[in-house]
Amino acid sequence: MKLFRHLLFAFSSAWQNFWRNLAVSIAAVVSIALILILAGASLLLGHALGQVLDSYRQRVSVLTISVADETPLASVYDFEGQLQVRPDVVKVRFVTKDEELRRFAADPRNQQLLEQIEGNPIPAKIEVNVAHLDDVKRIDALARQWRGVDGTDPTDYQGDFIANMLRLSTWLTIGGFGMLAVLTVASVVIVMNTIRTAVYHRRQEIELMKLVGATEWLVRGPFVVEGVMTGVIAASLALGLLLAAYRPFVERFRAELFFLPLSYDPHFVQVLAQDLLIAGATLGALGSYVGVRRFVRL
Amino acid sequence: MVIAPQFDSRPVISFEHVWKTYPNGTDALCDICITVPEGDFVFLVGPSGAGKSSLVRLLIREEKPTQGQLFVYGQELRCLRRSHLPCFRRKIGLVFQDFKLLPRMTVHENVEFALQTLGKSRRSIARQASAALDTVGLSGMEGNYPCELSGGEQQRVAIARALVHQPRLFIADEPTGNLDPATAWEIMQIFLRINATGVTVVMATHNREIVDLMRRRVVAIERGQIVRDDRYGRYHEAFPAPALRVQ
Repeated sequence: MKLFRHLLFAFSSAWQNFWRNLAVSIAAVVSIALILILAGASLLLGHALGQVLDSYRQRVSVLTISVADETPLASVYDFEGQLQVRPDVVKVRFVTKDEELRRFAADPRNQQLLEQIEGNPIPAKIEVNVAHLDDVKRIDALARQWRGVDGTDPTDYQGDFIANMLRLSTWLTIGGFGMLAVLTVASVVIVMNTIRTAVYHRRQEIELMKLVGATEWLVRGPFVVEGVMTGVIAASLALGLLLAAYRPFVERFRAELFFLPLSYDPHFVQVLAQDLLIAGATLGALGSYVGVRRFVRL
Repeated sequence: MVIAPQFDSRPVISFEHVWKTYPNGTDALCDICITVPEGDFVFLVGPSGAGKSSLVRLLIREEKPTQGQLFVYGQELRCLRRSHLPCFRRKIGLVFQDFKLLPRMTVHENVEFALQTLGKSRRSIARQASAALDTVGLSGMEGNYPCELSGGEQQRVAIARALVHQPRLFIADEPTGNLDPATAWEIMQIFLRINATGVTVVMATHNREIVDLMRRRVVAIERGQIVRDDRYGRYHEAFPAPALRVQ
């Protein structure tokens, strides 16, 4: 019962203090919101880049092997079987000459060319989905050694493109983590100082609480709850602004750079909301806890 | 030698050769020996910088003695663990010269504040706060803010806050320092009423007239040392009134 009363005291006094020191509370909300906007914008940008990279990654992680016309079907199935048992291969699919021709014919841009060709010059294909991008090179080497491969155009492997993709992906990951680390440190310092200012304004209250016999946690509790409240309000504000800008930004980007596979992702909005709210609450609580420590010690 | 008048009741406060030296080397208190029995009313008198406030800070364990032993309710304060400090302070009522009221809280909220931190029920808090305000004669002013009150009224609120958790020891540091003589006397009447219920009162003061009128125990401090301890003392016995020279 006493614990419940202490919790009630922490919540009610946090709520009262938030409104009674509105100017300082607004300053704290704005500074946390700015940091979270920056963090949220980085997350959105990272997600958009990730979407583009994923799309390319998906495309290049499928290696197409051309099968020479005279290759016996048994040899094709045998090679298909060899590929299927490899751990670096996710899926293997044999596409016959007829199926390839149908695909070719389905593209309206090929109609003119189709009228000029006789028979079916298009080779059968084996499509191999690899587990990781860096496995493509190994499968390509294996395919080129196979006797049934079409010697004129063995595979659609684009080594340089994949190497560049892998390099870009690595740098983006490192850059993302670096930025996240810098943002985290900066935000904790800023939030801590903002909340310390708020706490300094109320040092008399803290002193008094200590003198009337409040425990350290009883003094600290309302400040930590207020920190969480400030963080959640700031996160909601940041989230609102980011969501308002997200869809127009994606649409504008798609209109300008139509070849980039960028799209509005409603699932990521949920993830972003969850991340920002947790980050806001944690930042607020941590900032308050550290900020109030100096004044609370009995 | 321990200076202490003879009393029948057990001591609430006991200083045994207590020294307080600040980090800059200043000796604020030197070899203080004094006992205060339960129900006593003690004036701590002395000029500014004599060590009265240092003594009060030791009593509420805002500072620790550098040497010697200080007992309050049998508890040695130098060895008191930090985790036991809140419990110790709940046994003491504190009143300061500058009132230390929270400006954004009403009179009632200021008094309630002391009980809220103790985890009391809402009903009991409201009842005790009203009773405390009634004791200091502030019924009907519960909704006012400190800035709407006179100095005397603000000090009454501070006293109500100090007595709301029914402490057995009351410590006041210059409680009448900011008040005019008439208001100061009213405040002293409240302290007398509190003392009459058996509560021990220790009051640091400069107020010559009040000390002389009350005729209670007077402990005089000068340069960190107790120079006099009278059972029914007067201020000018401890410190002669400064002579005015006409030029």
